[in-house]
Amino acid sequence: MESTAASTELVALVRRAQKGEEAAQRELIVAYQHRVAGFVYAMTNRSDYVEDLSQQVFIKMFRALAGLQAPAQFESWLFRLARNTCIDQLRRQKLRRIFLPFQPEHEDVAEPAGAVGTEELDALRHALAQLRPAERALLALVQEGRSHAEIAETLDTSVSAVKARLHRAREHLREHYTPHHED
Amino acid sequence: MKTEDQAWRELQDHAAAQLRGGFATRVLRAVHGPDARAWDHLQRHAGAQLAPGFATRVLLALRVARAGVPSLFSQFAVGAATGAACLVAVVYFHSRSTRLQEERNLADWQRLAAEVQDLDATL
Repeated sequence: MESTAASTELVALVRRAQKGEEAAQRELIVAYQHRVAGFVYAMTNRSDYVEDLSQQVFIKMFRALAGLQAPAQFESWLFRLARNTCIDQLRRQKLRRIFLPFQPEHEDVAEPAGAVGTEELDALRHALAQLRPAERALLALVQEGRSHAEIAETLDTSVSAVKARLHRAREHLREHYTPHHED
Repeated sequence: MKTEDQAWRELQDHAAAQLRGGFATRVLRAVHGPDARAWDHLQRHAGAQLAPGFATRVLLALRVARAGVPSLFSQFAVGAATGAACLVAVVYFHSRSTRLQEERNLADWQRLAAEVQDLDATL
């Protein structure tokens, strides 16, 4: 009952933002900024990318918002945008390395263990860094509460394929989920 | 026999001393993977990377981007106008250079004809 009310509220908010109402747009940003930031961080593993990429996600969102036919699907649509933005960024980064004399280790300077927070967070960051971007995206989407069906739609694949990939991604995450700085 | 038992016990103690504190936690973590708390930490850390006034910055950037990026139609119109201007310039310079060349050729022929007439007159 509570979730139905919340989703009705969200739909109304999205509709107001679609009409260009700035207060509604601001409300949408404030409501989702931390979740989008978390998603971006899980995908890129870089604190310095969080602000820029989150901003890009929201700008893309507002530019495309008028075309969103089903405001009820707003959340899954937003996180699809976030996923695509992060994947584009990771691709651009990979492409740039072809033309610049930098090695990945010069660019991806790891944040020192313990510098970003608790041991658990360090362990999770370390584990996520070992996964492929597609696996990170899957796990981050699940953490965002996306259903298998929604993820399947986002990735343009079947629900059973999502389940299989998710199982593998979780296995990989578990394999690497040990504090790397405790050696 | 007692010596052997003691040796085993010492070996066991030595091995156990190699395990750092929190061994059980680490084993359980490796078995179960990250729990919701770890993901919460991640989200909180990421959220803390957004400087205050994030929403204002996004809306400002959006306004700047909207003002700065021309519409598809205007981009097409500018492209078409540039193409047309280039075409006009090419046609103008081509016709001008052709006309000048023709004038030069005509003048040469006139000079030649005059010279031929002079030659005929002298003969």
